[in-house]
Amino acid sequence: MESPVIRVFLTRLTAGFLCLLLSLGFVVLLLDAGRHRAQTIPTQMEEPYTARSVAETGSINVVTAILMDYRAFDTLGEATVIFASVAVAAAILGKPGSPSNRTMGLLSRRQLSALLPLFFIFPLFVIFHGHLSPGGGFQGGVSLAVLVILIHVAFGDRFGEEVIPHRILALSEYGAAIGLVGIGFVGIFQGSAYLANVAAGFPRGTAGTLASGGVIPLLNLLVGMKVAAGLSSIYVHLAGHEAENVPEKRR
Amino acid sequence: MALDIAFYLILAAILVSAFAAIHVRGHLNAVIILSVFSVLTTVKFTFLQAVDVAMAEAVIGAGLMTALFVTAISKTRKRTWRAR
Amino acid sequence: MMQTAAYLTAAGVFAIGLYGMLTQRDMIKICISISIMDSSFVMALVAAAYVPGGAAPIAGFEALRFVDPLPHALALTAIVIGAGILAIALALTVAVYRHYGTTDIARLFIATREDS
Repeated sequence: MESPVIRVFLTRLTAGFLCLLLSLGFVVLLLDAGRHRAQTIPTQMEEPYTARSVAETGSINVVTAILMDYRAFDTLGEATVIFASVAVAAAILGKPGSPSNRTMGLLSRRQLSALLPLFFIFPLFVIFHGHLSPGGGFQGGVSLAVLVILIHVAFGDRFGEEVIPHRILALSEYGAAIGLVGIGFVGIFQGSAYLANVAAGFPRGTAGTLASGGVIPLLNLLVGMKVAAGLSSIYVHLAGHEAENVPEKRR
Repeated sequence: MALDIAFYLILAAILVSAFAAIHVRGHLNAVIILSVFSVLTTVKFTFLQAVDVAMAEAVIGAGLMTALFVTAISKTRKRTWRAR
Repeated sequence: MMQTAAYLTAAGVFAIGLYGMLTQRDMIKICISISIMDSSFVMALVAAAYVPGGAAPIAGFEALRFVDPLPHALALTAIVIGAGILAIALALTVAVYRHYGTTDIARLFIATREDS
């Protein structure tokens, strides 16, 4: 029976050895993959997407073109993961209880009430220009969720619950999910694949303008709505309880 | 060349801040260092020309994760002060 | 060279996160370790996408080479899913604290042993 200090030391030694071994494997794997890729024709892998995407989808931002057109089904699965995580958080934490009325100081509140409308410019720009500039539905949606959290933190949970009721968040998340799935079916009815874009008859527009890229701006908007509603409702669930009903004997 | 040196410095700072975020004492300190780690990661992604990923990392790592962590910490701590 | 250094950093961050997850006793610190490990995979994906001298994958740029946009799309999905995982981990932490009054794993074992 060794002493606890030696046991802790041995545990940490084993853990450190394991971490070093695993990260060594990580490095070897990555470097091998990189060398393998360098041996193939260098720019062969990235050329197709960057060369094709403007002509095929009308989206300047190639990453958005991949996310919303070529691999839109992955985006649907990712939205499903957000949906599942909201559902699990709600199931674990239960219904949000009585919202607390704790707010920031007066100066912060006055300042925020003047500045808050300006803060909404950035997420909306990122969402609507997702196919033209860096950004897209995810980034804009998460910034919207952060703004909702800011409203809750700055003006108190009760005010936040009045301005943006939890029911509205849930409804917009369901609506965006149904919209995503429904737009996918348009592609099938037009005789193409699920979630198809230009192939399903959506107008491509001239690349570089706001109304281009077929269904991509609409998908960006829906994904942004869904991510914003999902993540901010996770916050509402997490913050909706006071830590007061802890069992007394365990404190 | 100067940009290369800045890149390597940022890589070193990423490793140091990742280590510090786990081993620093106190939950709130750890969360703030984690958001510093996210901002440094954002700068690194910008160096590697991954602008979309950099924006997502900035918004999620420095914005949303910090808010969620601080909320969870305030819920898992004995109440020492009351609502005004 | 830059790419190799980025790979090494990703592996180092992975090792730091895994070590923290194995040795820390507090659930909040374990959540921090999880998010650091998650970030290391995003770093590896972005480093794999890098092409020396390549421009960002915006087709408006007039450049000879672009970095590979496909790992960027995968990394975006990974980041958002990491946020979902983190939310569930924190929700579990809060639920455990509400039930047992502690977030320390060692005390949690003792408390669960008392229960059974």
